[in-house]
Amino acid sequence: MSRHGNQSQDFELNLAPIIDCFTVLVTFLLASSAFISIGLLDAGIAAGGATTPEDKAPPSVQVSVELQPSHKIEIKVTGKANQTFDIVPTNGVWDYDKLTAQLNTLKQKYPDLGGVTLKADENVQYGEVIVGMENIRKSLPAVLLGGF
Amino acid sequence: MKLFGGPLSKGKLFKKTPHQSDEMALQITSMADIFMILLVFLLKSYATAIVNVTPTAGMKLPVANAESPELNALKVEISETAVSIESNPVMTLDGFKVAGGEVGSNGVSKTLAEAFEKERKRQLLIAQSNTEVKIDPKVIVVADQRTPYSTIKAVLASAAIHGYTDFKLAVVKRD
Repeated sequence: MSRHGNQSQDFELNLAPIIDCFTVLVTFLLASSAFISIGLLDAGIAAGGATTPEDKAPPSVQVSVELQPSHKIEIKVTGKANQTFDIVPTNGVWDYDKLTAQLNTLKQKYPDLGGVTLKADENVQYGEVIVGMENIRKSLPAVLLGGF
Repeated sequence: MKLFGGPLSKGKLFKKTPHQSDEMALQITSMADIFMILLVFLLKSYATAIVNVTPTAGMKLPVANAESPELNALKVEISETAVSIESNPVMTLDGFKVAGGEVGSNGVSKTLAEAFEKERKRQLLIAQSNTEVKIDPKVIVVADQRTPYSTIKAVLASAAIHGYTDFKLAVVKRD
């Protein structure tokens, strides 16, 4: 009986079918995946008839922020105090830094202040409303859309 | 003295070079590595897309810092030419604007209100037959950033009168 020849331990893995699978998978994923990441901003609406839960006292003041077409921002405080603050535009754009600073001051003065109603002029674009909302949320996280 | 090596012998000069094989083995190990990295990256980005919102072509969503909670709700899309509910166009728009006379004194559009009512009735019907399904006040609003606030107001007011009061505004997340 003849002895078996000494077979080599070196062998090459056949990667071609794996590459084929990868190519199909990568193509499918590239075609079906979205490269923009969509997020969601919470927004309720401030409409007449909205009620406060019975176990929770209403805030001492209500604050509304209005984006006006001339890039002016008007902050109205009603309730325990009645005040109006006008924030004039800086270089023709909304001055959100001043808005945030003013809202922080109000938050310190009225700690029970939970949210803000955001209104905008009819012609103000939605994108600008979102930017306004984003800036308000830096100070007060609950933003309701108003003006209905 | 030998400067440039020894003289070439006859044997070295006429030695035949070994015959190279015509079959060429492509080195695909590195290619497999690249594909593996690509695949991992794509699978990861595929898995993180929790919010199932697909804006129509040409739509410019506003950009903001926002969260991506896993959410399935009624989708309302406001584009330049139409308002669509669950991808079904329900009202035409003229350059993002609602046609004059469409919106009543209460800010509600009759056409849109009817469409929302239909959706609400459908939800109620499902909720009656399946106790696990609850009536949902959530609406995902996918609107172009150039839309005037008047149109947004008309859509939100029309939804609100039928119990859709929890709005989630779809934005492109800022990096």
